[in-house]
Amino acid sequence: MQFNEAVKKSIKNFMAGNMPKSLTEKKEFLMYGPEYFDELEAEILEEPTDSTAAREEEELDEV
Amino acid sequence: MKFEGPIVGENFLTDTRNYPWHRPPDLFDYDEAVSYMLSKIDEQEQIELVFAMLGIDAKVTTVVSTLLLQAISKGKFTIDMAMLIAGPLARYIEIQAKNAGVKYDMGLTNKDRIVLTPTLLKASLGILEQPEEESPEIMAMRKEAGPMEPDQEQIMGLMSRPPEGAVAPPDEQAAMLGQTEEEELEEEAV
Repeated sequence: MQFNEAVKKSIKNFMAGNMPKSLTEKKEFLMYGPEYFDELEAEILEEPTDSTAAREEEELDEV
Repeated sequence: MKFEGPIVGENFLTDTRNYPWHRPPDLFDYDEAVSYMLSKIDEQEQIELVFAMLGIDAKVTTVVSTLLLQAISKGKFTIDMAMLIAGPLARYIEIQAKNAGVKYDMGLTNKDRIVLTPTLLKASLGILEQPEEESPEIMAMRKEAGPMEPDQEQIMGLMSRPPEGAVAPPDEQAAMLGQTEEEELEEEAV
């Protein structure tokens, strides 16, 4: 198996929510698991961008 | 002869200078390695490079491979660790691309795969269907029409030899050769 193929396989497994067993057994707490990235995605994508935030602030000031 | 080769892992114990990936890695903890790579991607130059690569239709898997190979070549972590952190890295790039509105392709589906159809399977097995025989009505019509005329049979390409007797007149031949009347007169005068 080539490096690129192994990387692809690893990504596919992670995207399916699977973590290597040996890793999860070895460490009790893993910070960067699939759940972390799900939360991060929700946090980042719901957060308004800088321009939107500035516009909202201006609107509030006008009111 | 076999005893002359290096022992597996010998490179990790040698004192002499060697390649960074032959030395013990800087990071050996999963979370540390992921944290390092995420902070690396967050650097302005690096994120610009990632988006530029995605912009030229590079797949996320390719981008991740490139970033991991860079880090391995610097001796940051081993290839095994790179395999473990490839998933989180791809996920982070996906989130950043979504946030920035950059078009991306994860590259996990094999688009070049040939879809197996019954026709393809038959062709690969050498079971090709025979053409259907002409119906009796069509056969009767063919008989009625009679044999094809020689002119119709000899429909050929542009570069094929013309049929016998189909020779262009001398004027036309001269024109095709680029000889005008003036040139002919000059030739006669000489």
